[in-house]
Amino acid sequence: MARMKFLADAERCIECNGCVTACKQEHDIPWGVNRRRVVTLNDGMPGEKSISVACMHCSDAPCMAVCPVDVFYKTSEGIVLHDKDLCIGCGYCFYACPFGAPQFPQDGAFGLRGKMDKCTFCAGGPEPDFSEAEFRKYGRNRIAEGKLPACAEMCSTKALLGGDGDVIADIYRSRAITRGRGSEVWGWGTAYGRPEKKPAAQPPGAKS
Amino acid sequence: MRGMSQRKRFVRLLVAALAICLPQLAVAASEGQKQQAERQLTQPLNNAPVWRDVRAGEGNPYQTTQVRGIETNVLIQSEGEIWREIRNGPVTVYGGLFVLIIASIIGLFHWLRGPIKLRERPTGRWVKRFTDWERLVHWSTAISFLVLAVSGLVILFGKYIVLPVFGGSVFGYAVFSWLAAISKNLHNFVGPLFIVCASAMFVTYVKDNLWRSYDFRWLGNSGGMLWGEHVPSGKFNAGEKVWFWFGLFLLSIVLAVTGLILDFPNFGQGRATMQLVNVVHAIAAVIYMGVAMGHIYMGTVGVEGTYDSMRISGGDGSVDETWAKEHHEYWYKEVIASRGREAAPTGAAAQPQH
Repeated sequence: MARMKFLADAERCIECNGCVTACKQEHDIPWGVNRRRVVTLNDGMPGEKSISVACMHCSDAPCMAVCPVDVFYKTSEGIVLHDKDLCIGCGYCFYACPFGAPQFPQDGAFGLRGKMDKCTFCAGGPEPDFSEAEFRKYGRNRIAEGKLPACAEMCSTKALLGGDGDVIADIYRSRAITRGRGSEVWGWGTAYGRPEKKPAAQPPGAKS
Repeated sequence: MRGMSQRKRFVRLLVAALAICLPQLAVAASEGQKQQAERQLTQPLNNAPVWRDVRAGEGNPYQTTQVRGIETNVLIQSEGEIWREIRNGPVTVYGGLFVLIIASIIGLFHWLRGPIKLRERPTGRWVKRFTDWERLVHWSTAISFLVLAVSGLVILFGKYIVLPVFGGSVFGYAVFSWLAAISKNLHNFVGPLFIVCASAMFVTYVKDNLWRSYDFRWLGNSGGMLWGEHVPSGKFNAGEKVWFWFGLFLLSIVLAVTGLILDFPNFGQGRATMQLVNVVHAIAAVIYMGVAMGHIYMGTVGVEGTYDSMRISGGDGSVDETWAKEHHEYWYKEVIASRGREAAPTGAAAQPQH
């Protein structure tokens, strides 16, 4: 069974916000709610990097652990989904999530936040697939249509990859190898120190 | 070989050029930027300082996003995991145990020691202890406290205690969600009301709760609660005063401040604030509930005759003189003195005065 994952390639992201727009368009998301965002590190400086971030569908999801009403569930593909009908809008998932993924339509006085909304990996919610209720609450169910998340599919530089973890890891690994600079993207210079000569390419199939 | 060394020289030249240029570029940049520039000189291609910024960025003008909102330019906020560990761990486990242990101690006390009875017979003469206003303030605070306590318990422990009762059925989840939603909203709206009530309570009761020298003696004898000796006290005994200052005053302030921060997210508090404040709120609340259980026990079944003083119906806030003499002797003497007559010997038959 596939384990669905997102992978953002910081070497490729050009901060076009196409993924953000694709997500909002695909799911008809209201103002103020952003299931995905692009963060730029060292904006305008040498070595600027941009990364698209949304719910990362954690294996051990903190939101799931702290939710006082247990609205979260995980599909067999590792996608973390939630039941909006049960959500009480306490905001605990937002406190716990490292990625800032849970979104609330309001942040009103007396803790009136409304129902939590977050990235569904384009997999809808507990309602029947393609139902009107499902679309209204969670957006389009592209996974049930046999498609991958709209953000990753729309990414113009293919910086954002979404899909089976094994497949996208292979894609990323082949990129890292053919770039000829190893995995310096992730700061591997620390592990290997200052390279005296060109680092040897990793053997194909090795775990990065 | 020759080409290699040429390239090496080029790299060194480039590094030297960067060494000159980078610090200037990074003048206004963050500390992480400077570290990154320095790191590139010693360890080219090591981007660790850049990636360290992934977990920071709040207030960093060079870490940006187009999405507006709270801390949206922070990529990873890892303190949430610490909050999760503390909330789901010690706060839930030891907090729950604490409430259960206090309840058991009270139960055990009641079973072994039994309620504290009046030693002498009631006189049938009544002494006014609490005015209508005092009782109104007490019960407003008490009822809002109970609403907050029960709704808070549902939010913290309901998932582990109430939800499993339904056996994980769809219906059970829906019912518990309703319960939790009602609890959350009651908690969020009654909270500010409690602050008003508790403040009124503080102002109303503070003059009788000032610490006196004889209160130490009361504490030293644990108020005669265990061995039954008589310890005189003022209108409030030292136990009540501890409850007043530690509970109503200190814990209320802690809970009010943290509660308001949690209750009004519209001022853009960050996650780190919410995490810290939530833990403090939960710990203070659990302690408050524990002490409150003791207070409720002593005020109702624990001490015979005490509940009379707070009755709304079937009483006017008066207590029997025997009760007043046995539990609050200094206060009793003051009241009698102010009435301008001698303290009557207890047990003497007297006409009921009401």
